[in-house]
Amino acid sequence: MKNKRHVSILLTLLAIVAVLASGCSSKGGSTTVKELSGAGATFPYPLYSKMFDTYDAATGVRVNYNSIGSGGGIKALTDKTVDFGASDAFLTDQEEAAMGAPVLHIPTCIGAVVLSYNLDGNPTLKLDGTALAGIFSGKIVKWNDPVISALNPGVSLPDLAITVVHRSDGSGTTSIFTSYLAAVSPTWKSAVGAGKSVSWPTGIGGKGNDGVAGMISQTKGSIGYIELVYAVQSNMPFASLKNASGAYIVPSLASSAAAAAVSLPDDLRVVIVNSPGADAYPISAFTWILVYKEQNYTGRTLAQAQALGKLLTWMLTDGQSINEGLSYAKLPAAAVTKALALVSSMTYGGTAIP
Amino acid sequence: MVAQPSRSDQRELVRERIFTAAGVTAAVALVTTIVLFLLELFIASRASRAAFGLPFLWRSEWNPVTEKFGALPMIVGTLITGFGALLISTPFALGIAIFLADYADRKLAEPIKYLIGLLGGLPSVIFGLWGLFVLVPIVSKFEVWFGKLVGSEALVASGTTGVGLLAAILLLAIMILPFSASLILESLLVVPTELKEGALALGATKWDTIQNVELPYVQKSTVGALVLSLGRALGETMAVTMVIGNGMKMPTTLFDPANTLASAIANQFLEATSPVYVGSLIQLALILFVIAIIINIMARVILRRGVQQ
Repeated sequence: MKNKRHVSILLTLLAIVAVLASGCSSKGGSTTVKELSGAGATFPYPLYSKMFDTYDAATGVRVNYNSIGSGGGIKALTDKTVDFGASDAFLTDQEEAAMGAPVLHIPTCIGAVVLSYNLDGNPTLKLDGTALAGIFSGKIVKWNDPVISALNPGVSLPDLAITVVHRSDGSGTTSIFTSYLAAVSPTWKSAVGAGKSVSWPTGIGGKGNDGVAGMISQTKGSIGYIELVYAVQSNMPFASLKNASGAYIVPSLASSAAAAAVSLPDDLRVVIVNSPGADAYPISAFTWILVYKEQNYTGRTLAQAQALGKLLTWMLTDGQSINEGLSYAKLPAAAVTKALALVSSMTYGGTAIP
Repeated sequence: MVAQPSRSDQRELVRERIFTAAGVTAAVALVTTIVLFLLELFIASRASRAAFGLPFLWRSEWNPVTEKFGALPMIVGTLITGFGALLISTPFALGIAIFLADYADRKLAEPIKYLIGLLGGLPSVIFGLWGLFVLVPIVSKFEVWFGKLVGSEALVASGTTGVGLLAAILLLAIMILPFSASLILESLLVVPTELKEGALALGATKWDTIQNVELPYVQKSTVGALVLSLGRALGETMAVTMVIGNGMKMPTTLFDPANTLASAIANQFLEATSPVYVGSLIQLALILFVIAIIINIMARVILRRGVQQ
């Protein structure tokens, strides 16, 4: 008797679950899309989650974003399990080939990577590409090295070993920083190269921005690279860098945005490190949202493609006002124009999306 | 005794069968899971096995840019930190277990046991933070002192960080201590009182009893406890990552930054995209798996020898 009652309870529960599940899965068929999903980079996650909250409140369209890392985002888009991917580095030719279809790179904001250090008295340092390449390749080993002293007249630098701190996990931040070193130092380019993780000639690794920041604050004489957002939030000292036009630039939202205020290629698949702009901070980079140019794949509806197009357009226009409050630099007007052109180049079944 | 099977006997029989079936299913599922694990790791690492073959095991280059990978630095880092931690923690674990089993009175033993349990249950990230903020600065001072002692300019100059193999070994030793101590203690507590009393009645001192009766009695479970602790040390990821320095090069001294298999995978897997890179990381997992199997087999062999003697 008791068992029978259990069975009936179980059946009722199953029925409820089934009804709920069918209710959830009916979103694909309807004409209005209430949900979009994306996955990828962790760097813009705070910005995206704020943007998507605001977008939900304004339009009723919910966007689920999983910050699983750029690599995971690229993989999810390749597997076609998300509406968009997000990455801090643009796709390599190999990755793009694996996608099997053309992919658009839509920038959403500009990030800057700063050099933070731990020296007694927190002097404000000035550095350039040559000095950084020397330090990070282990050729400049002391703070009072003539190369560093020459850049910092008036600052008394100690006879102290330099401890290099780098990221131990693969990251867009490392990609941006090593792209810069490769751009300014041919030796670095041939000996180490650029990428989300590289074979570091020297130094210790910390996991994530917090790991690197932790190591820096622990170790006298250390220097490492972290995201501007993180350095600002955690009040860490950072160096001014000499840019391509010879000026020393303090990293800031304005100076990293200036790095993108140069002539850009139409596909916006570009590294803007060592930018020629007069006020440009040299270690700046876009972070991108990745979408397939042709939206009619694996049974996607026109409504889904339209919803995605609307979301991207909003992120490039109204959404940009959110950037600076969260310490992400806004896209310059020229970049927005080109990015909007990319969004409207998306197609559904070969024709433009109405 | 042969009786007509009654209804309740039949019910008993059915229950028995169901229970046996459930037990067999669970056992088979466990074995299958392990085999599938191994198989999956093997299949998923084929890109790297095709590219590097066996030399992957003894090559020490790890370069994601040129996509040349070798596992030796991580294998060495894993074995040194694991066995180093075991070496340091074992005497302490034995001492704690013997003290609690034979010397401490209840009022003292209970709170200590509770604290050991607490230590064993702490999440490893807390150990990692403690390691980074407390242990690492101490290691760093030791490094400078040691450098001066042996007159090594390099250690004095570069050895100011404190992160590296030594910090990881010490941290792991502390982390596995509660495991080995409480496992050894459990087995010491079940040594039959008759044996102990017999030895004492024969005029043996307390230490004689421990040495000649208790320790031989718990030999087998002690080795088991140590193997379990070693397993934990080899697989520990988060805390190690925070103090080992994550260098992907071959370490030359105990003060060098190094990496372990588990920590390298956890650090790099998320952002690895190319098939060879992902394959190489999965092959690191495969190697860790095989190391775990080898250590378990070795423990069995040691035990069998011990029993034969």
